[in-house]
Amino acid sequence: MTRADSIAGGAFLAVGLALVASGWTFPPGVGGLPGAGFFPQAIGGLMGLLAVGLLLKGESGGEDRRPEMSGTRQVAGTAALLFAYLLLWGTGFFAVRTAVFLALLLRFLGQGWLSATGYSAALTAFVFLAFSMGLNVSLE
Amino acid sequence: MPGSDFRSEVRALIAEILAGLAAILDWQVLGFLAVGVSLGAVFGSLPGLTATMGVAVLTPLTFWVSAEQGLAMLLGIYCGAIPAGGIPAILINVPGTPASIATTWDGYALTRKGSAGLALGVNAIASAVGQLTSIMFLAFLAFPIARFALQFGPAEYFGLALLGISLMAGVSGRHVIKGMLAGMLGLALALVGLDPMTAYPRYTFGMSEFLDGISFVPVMIGLFGLGEVLIQISERHKARKSASAEIGRILPSAPEARTMAGATFSGATVGTMVGAIPAAGGDIGSVIAWEQARRASKDKDSFGKGSLRGLAASCSACNAAIGGAMTTMLTLGIPGDAVSAILIGALLIHGIQPGPLLFAGNQSFVFSIVFLLVFASLLIMAVGLLGARPLARILNIPPPWLWTGIVLFGTVGAYALNNATVDVWAMYAAGLAGFLFRKARIPLGPLVLGLILGPMMESNLRRALILSRGDWLGLLTRPILLVFLAATVLSLLWPLIRRKLASTNPQP
Repeated sequence: MTRADSIAGGAFLAVGLALVASGWTFPPGVGGLPGAGFFPQAIGGLMGLLAVGLLLKGESGGEDRRPEMSGTRQVAGTAALLFAYLLLWGTGFFAVRTAVFLALLLRFLGQGWLSATGYSAALTAFVFLAFSMGLNVSLE
Repeated sequence: MPGSDFRSEVRALIAEILAGLAAILDWQVLGFLAVGVSLGAVFGSLPGLTATMGVAVLTPLTFWVSAEQGLAMLLGIYCGAIPAGGIPAILINVPGTPASIATTWDGYALTRKGSAGLALGVNAIASAVGQLTSIMFLAFLAFPIARFALQFGPAEYFGLALLGISLMAGVSGRHVIKGMLAGMLGLALALVGLDPMTAYPRYTFGMSEFLDGISFVPVMIGLFGLGEVLIQISERHKARKSASAEIGRILPSAPEARTMAGATFSGATVGTMVGAIPAAGGDIGSVIAWEQARRASKDKDSFGKGSLRGLAASCSACNAAIGGAMTTMLTLGIPGDAVSAILIGALLIHGIQPGPLLFAGNQSFVFSIVFLLVFASLLIMAVGLLGARPLARILNIPPPWLWTGIVLFGTVGAYALNNATVDVWAMYAAGLAGFLFRKARIPLGPLVLGLILGPMMESNLRRALILSRGDWLGLLTRPILLVFLAATVLSLLWPLIRRKLASTNPQP
């Protein structure tokens, strides 16, 4: 069993148990009919059993014993930029905010300032025109 | 004289067919069809934009033209968007429409092997075969299929959803337990929102944005789009390209075509039948067809790793659902999927009432629709084959440019669905989950299957139990449900049965 299997099994077991427990808080069914908590409990119970199976048995072969977590810095940086972009959603102009975000992301991914700025401006303009003008989606 | 009656009926039918053909052999109608197919290709190939959105946005434009012209454009969008959804699925592992999820499994694997051109060619051909086969069904078997679909009640829908969910194990590859767990997570996510029977809020955490549940499309864009981008970013130090820039040939060879023929036609049959069932569209049909092709194949291990059979089955099925949905829509007036629901509205605006009376009083119009669908299928196949090489050049774009493009289109596409920021949050969360799941080798297909089928399974089981007054055993008196239950049990036990058969009849 790999470390990834252990973590995944533990996480699924926790979610399964939470579903079963939360199912009791929903109104019960009447007249032998299942209530709002029936499916959460059924799904949670099954998830818990499968998670125990994963914890006990594991599935990965010997060649994959360690999950590869290379490039974590790049992924974390990208995720942080995405998070910041989303937090700022609705502030300022969409086009400016998005062009700056894309330029920073491209720069973070190793592109030069000139190409990053030019490409992000062109892409933002295209998306803005397509969605805002073409499909009448309010992006501001 | 019975003979002369029959002859006169055939003559009348031929006259209706010719009248239907003549009505659309007009440069304006064909022009609207071409515009519709082109717009459909754009909507289908951009993640976040769907065929439903395209038809919905452009329906008002048809108010000012004739019924034939308006319908030509809307059917063109419908027929163009579904095959085009396979293009990003194949090239960048992002399904353009929900129906093309199964296309990513073998299509993207082919791209990574340097056969993007062949994958796009198979997508174009199998999609056209699927559409044309289902149109033949529409033309010749419309009434029997629609009558069968009419027998479906909540219990049968529950059986269909259960059968779909039982396929989770099949689409999980060698990680069966993890696949089942991902499917359970999809079912759990589908619980978010108002309880379908009592409207009691579940897992909304007091946020009104979650009352309608978690939107499927943003989750799909996140899992398959953003998740793939994060994986490629994390692996860029290996100096590997996001996918092979090799395009290769477009057309399959004769032996390859023979290999795919069975899977293509079985996919078309499955897609048509599933599409004919209201609310069950190409997304479910393509997964079932892919799994069916995998089980029928002697080379099961190649599925999910670039199998032409798997690709052909999924492409054919998701497109065949169009004819199935149109069959139900035209004969019963019941929408087979979201697009046909909008099409019903468009027809009503033009004074045409879909349903059995349409076949009795306006047969030539029905045949006009059939011919429009045929022309649209041939047009999108030509576009797909001729455009495969230029489209595949997307792989030559520098990876960071491609990644930022996917992120931006995904973000704005997710937001545009409901003009809601919560959908963008859902997409980003799903993207992170997709990245972690890939790292932990947890299959994503079952999660999507659970998310799609969860609401259908729960609401229909509970409705069926209300109708049977809480009598669980009473449900077992319904023959169609019994067939679905038997198929579900067989589906779950099949790996064990196959292992048993293999051990009793060892291969040399």
